[in-house]
Amino acid sequence: MEKAGKSRRRFLKAVAFVIAAGLLLWKFLVPKIAKKKPLLRVAKADIPAGGALVFRKSRVAVVKKGDDIYALSLACTHLGCTVNVTTREFVCPCHGSIFGRRGEVLKGPADRPLERLAVAEHGEFIVVLS
Amino acid sequence: MFKDFLEHIFPRLILEKNLRITYTFCFGGLAFTAFMLLVVSGLLLLFYYQPSPEKAFESILFLESSVPGGRFVRSLHRLTSHALLVLIFLHTLRVILTGAYRKPRELNWVIGFFILASAVFGAYTGYLLPMDQLAFWGTHTGMELIGTAPFGEMIGHFLVPDEVGRPVSLLRFYTLHIAVIPLTIAILCFLHFYRIRHDKGVLPYL
Repeated sequence: MEKAGKSRRRFLKAVAFVIAAGLLLWKFLVPKIAKKKPLLRVAKADIPAGGALVFRKSRVAVVKKGDDIYALSLACTHLGCTVNVTTREFVCPCHGSIFGRRGEVLKGPADRPLERLAVAEHGEFIVVLS
Repeated sequence: MFKDFLEHIFPRLILEKNLRITYTFCFGGLAFTAFMLLVVSGLLLLFYYQPSPEKAFESILFLESSVPGGRFVRSLHRLTSHALLVLIFLHTLRVILTGAYRKPRELNWVIGFFILASAVFGAYTGYLLPMDQLAFWGTHTGMELIGTAPFGEMIGHFLVPDEVGRPVSLLRFYTLHIAVIPLTIAILCFLHFYRIRHDKGVLPYL
């Protein structure tokens, strides 16, 4: 009787172990990949040609250059301050990094260009995805 | 032959006094445990790693940032690989200090040496796979070193047909790292264990 109880306990332990290991393995193998959500909706006509529309709150600049429209994140790639938009470039107030119109680094300490956000066209509107 | 092999993998009986830890410190057993841990964590990494120069580093960033436990599994693989080398060297030192390499066990010394060499080679091929700057230049240094050895250029042509970090060489390092070397080590390990049982007549323990 005692022997049966022991083997049952061992069996239950094994089952619990297998379930726990299986759950961890499942979590590892099926990661939640964040779907891109729409962040902003901008009318194409609102973006000045050769200029940029700045959304300080969502830290995004929508830039139009010729026919090309792209969205740049305004978070400095150095330490994440919001960069200021001047007529020619993006200047970080914290450590003086300067980025060009296309987000490329003109002056450090930042070493990566400003992040480009995905944009989708919906007729007359541009939707910026985060 | 196979029956003989299987019968020797596990000992028929062990004397209790011979299990004292201070004689062997179980370095060999610990090293094999590290190897098994490497196989398991490496298998998990295979689910996410992409062996191409453009995708390799990206896939690792993805693994570390978006996969639950990804960073843990990768760190485990890296740390265990360090542990494996340390343990094999300690095991070798123990074998030298206790004179276990002497006749009639010299064949097992040779097998052990090949396991050590395979483990070092495995660590080297794994070093390139993340494709970060450290991996790239570390592998460059290694290839220069190999080039100075006898037949070094031949080995270099085999390992790196194009250039370090280019598609073919990365794929080659990958194949060696995940298939050829682990299989070699596993086979040599079991031969190693078989020889221990086989030579037990002359051992002070077992």
